[in-house]
Amino acid sequence: MLSRTQATAQDIDVIDDAMESHPTHADDQPRVGPVRFTYPSGARPLDGYTIKRGIGRGGFGEVYFAVSDGGKEVALKLIRHNLEIELRGVTHCLNLKHANLIALYDVKEDEQGNSWVVMEYAVGDSLEEIIDRYPEGLPPEEAFEWMQGIAAGVSYLHDHGIVHRDLKPGNIFRDDGQIKLGDYGLSKFISCSRRSGQTESIGTVHYMAPEVANGRYGKEIDIYALGIILYEMLTGQVPFEGESVGEVLMKHLTAEPSLDKVPEPYRAVIARALAKDPQTRFATVSEMFNALPPTAATIGYRPPIKETRYAHQADEAPQAASTPPGGAGSGGKAAAGATAAAAAMGAAAAAQAGSSAFDDEPVWRTIRDGWRGARDSWDGLNTPTKIVVAIVGCSALAYNAELVLQLIVPLVVLYVLYRIVRNVVLQHETRKAAPYAARGPGAAPAHSPARDAGLDTTTYQPAQAAMAAAEQAAARAAAMVPKSSGDWREASRRHWKKRGRRRWRESAAEALVVKPARQRIADLAGSMIMAAVIGTVMSLVAVLLRGETSIEKEQYAWLTITSVVGAWAVLIPAKFWEGTRGDQTLRRVTMLVIGLGVGAAAYGASELLMVSYTDSAELQHFSKFNLAEKFYDAGGAPQLGAFLAYFGALFVAIRWWKQADPMRRTRLSVWGVGACVLAAWVVDFLWRFPQPWGVMVAAIISTSVQLVSPHASPEQSSGDLAGRE
Amino acid sequence: MFDSTHPVSSQSADCVPWIRNAVNNAAAKSRLLLWVDAVGGFFVCPGNEIHLGQAVPDSTIDLPLLADLSRHHATIRRDEEGYTIEPLRDVRLNHERITATSWINDGSLIELGPALRMRFTRPHPLSATARLDFVSHHRTQPSSSAVLLMADTCILGPSAQNHVVCREWPHDVVLHRQHGGLYCTSAAQLEVDGTRHRGRAPLNMHSHVAGEGFSFSLEEI
Repeated sequence: MLSRTQATAQDIDVIDDAMESHPTHADDQPRVGPVRFTYPSGARPLDGYTIKRGIGRGGFGEVYFAVSDGGKEVALKLIRHNLEIELRGVTHCLNLKHANLIALYDVKEDEQGNSWVVMEYAVGDSLEEIIDRYPEGLPPEEAFEWMQGIAAGVSYLHDHGIVHRDLKPGNIFRDDGQIKLGDYGLSKFISCSRRSGQTESIGTVHYMAPEVANGRYGKEIDIYALGIILYEMLTGQVPFEGESVGEVLMKHLTAEPSLDKVPEPYRAVIARALAKDPQTRFATVSEMFNALPPTAATIGYRPPIKETRYAHQADEAPQAASTPPGGAGSGGKAAAGATAAAAAMGAAAAAQAGSSAFDDEPVWRTIRDGWRGARDSWDGLNTPTKIVVAIVGCSALAYNAELVLQLIVPLVVLYVLYRIVRNVVLQHETRKAAPYAARGPGAAPAHSPARDAGLDTTTYQPAQAAMAAAEQAAARAAAMVPKSSGDWREASRRHWKKRGRRRWRESAAEALVVKPARQRIADLAGSMIMAAVIGTVMSLVAVLLRGETSIEKEQYAWLTITSVVGAWAVLIPAKFWEGTRGDQTLRRVTMLVIGLGVGAAAYGASELLMVSYTDSAELQHFSKFNLAEKFYDAGGAPQLGAFLAYFGALFVAIRWWKQADPMRRTRLSVWGVGACVLAAWVVDFLWRFPQPWGVMVAAIISTSVQLVSPHASPEQSSGDLAGRE
Repeated sequence: MFDSTHPVSSQSADCVPWIRNAVNNAAAKSRLLLWVDAVGGFFVCPGNEIHLGQAVPDSTIDLPLLADLSRHHATIRRDEEGYTIEPLRDVRLNHERITATSWINDGSLIELGPALRMRFTRPHPLSATARLDFVSHHRTQPSSSAVLLMADTCILGPSAQNHVVCREWPHDVVLHRQHGGLYCTSAAQLEVDGTRHRGRAPLNMHSHVAGEGFSFSLEEI
């Protein structure tokens, strides 16, 4: 076996490595080291086995899934350079037999002198993957079931004089309902070396008992790791988290785990398993297991599952767990326990949600929340209702434009001023408050706090002295680590969720890019025909809504023609930009040219139809600009110049192609239509255009473009825009 | 959402031969194993008509399953409107026994014989490719993590909407069929069988593809 000093020297080396190469990232989740495998599928580095794929990196190196010449599926672990100590460990464990251990079949040497451990291939998910599926913690009965299998396996190892030393969810599997421990017999060192990825090291230190820092490797470290795993199963998080290996180590040494999130019957068990002093922990695994409430298994409580993708798999979990041992012994007590557990978990979830809430400017937050509420209720409406509401709303706004603008403009100006002042004040304050943070990650400790804390002592120091030193170092470390989310796992989960939609968009866009041109043209033709129909109907509705006693046919015809041409002018370029993220400026310039074309068409139509503008007297009053005057005739009716200017500006002002984007949020967005109406108003300020016709055209174009453009949401999986396959 | 058990008329979806490359001319029903390093092995069935049955020695069934099934137990078909399953023996869809061809919806539970249960999903909204995940402990022969019923595209990458979710990958990689060949598209540089490509790269039936942070291989069954 390994001498204490040897192991410690190695560990410290490893810890230093990890700390140097793992500066504190405030907002960046730790880069997951890209896994590169030496051998591709089909390779036969070891005679008799064909490699099929890489599985991952375990304690010492790459693990592969391989099939023997006879057809047996195995996992192959490559141990380079024939590390003698490791191999001795494996050989020692080679003939252990237990239902909860991954079987080791053999150790073989290849032609290059590398050793391969041939072992059982576990088909199912690892506990790590299961925990990822339950961000709020596993149901207690499932956690209990896992615990039972793990405890049995570890107990068997301890019974044979072997300490696992690397217990962690990534090493524990459920294969066909049977819980299996892997990676035993190999982990004589903490499994972070120069060769393995950084996540490996941070993952491992989460389960590392404090006395490991002093080179003690008794059974107690497995008990400690079991305590952490139980905590993680019940809450979805490890008790000690940090941005760096050093920070996590420091917490193992000094911080008390916060057990508030853990439901009561488990709290005492975890507290004792996580005791800093190895002597006060449970003496054996079975003692710890027996201290667990055996009754939780019978209650069908399940916390809500967050990730919908896994919902169906989670569905099956209670069925698999339907015959748990532990018996239906004490019913009433069990129910009480489980209810308490449920309540505690609910509270924990609520606390978390509260803490993650945004802390930004209050006025803006109120507006945003109101906006979101309105948006949600809007999404609940059906399309015909949406159209009616949109038309009524737009026309109401169009007739009261002056009043609304008079109200809104001063408010917006006032708010902008307030924001500027607030930002200046806040920036000043943060600069004063955070001199360390300002130095950034580059200022990572030159000498590691871990070393200061006494980690590099090879002898076991008196606990008190070590703790005092550690506390100091921890305080220093805390000052240097920017106070951000703190927990990269949690952060990455949130990040993951937030990125979900963006990711979906990206992949949806990729699928759209491969869409053949013929399909695009066919889609476009369909959309254009629909746009013509919708434009005609909506123009009629708009004219009717205007409430004029006699409908003027030429005005209706003009509105229809302009709206339909405008909608087509949006649909055509948008179809060819679909799925790509081109240069915005270029697109706007293109839209400008198209807008001028639409303006010309609108002018042509008005000349042809000899439209008379009833409101033109009013127009005369407004055209104050010298330049603009040339755009209007003596009667105030707009000439070609006004048409060109109005439509050109309208098409530049709005990113119209977004409204035809298949990946837009909702099929018909009232905000999209609103934005167009608003833009039409603003443009109207520059170049007067007979209203409400100008605003109506914008609203109709926007509505019809949105209605006829294909739409796919991540929630619905039926709209295959990439063309029928 | 599980109202999909109404029978539909039997659709005649012809089995379209796809990979007609130099490697395999008789590849009308050519199936692949997609070995994705650090993620899993996937049984890829490219046809529009997939026969499911028990894996027996010298079986020629499209999707051989190591389970207590009939040699030809059911047929899954894909057409423009979606997927259907034709039961030839004991088949349940969402816990209801079916006797006629029925639509399969996203999220449906398919049960074959006494014990085999698998979940049907169409994870990506823009692709007709579907995925079968085993809910029971049964496996395909040769074994795989899941079955991909591949239409024209199959997307691998970090998004949860992908057919193969590879959480650690930096970006998506799209496998797609075109003109009878199989191609691989990615935003970043790829190395296919030792040759560097940017954008689109042709694949054969035993290509090894590697890029920054990921690698996968194909194997013909």
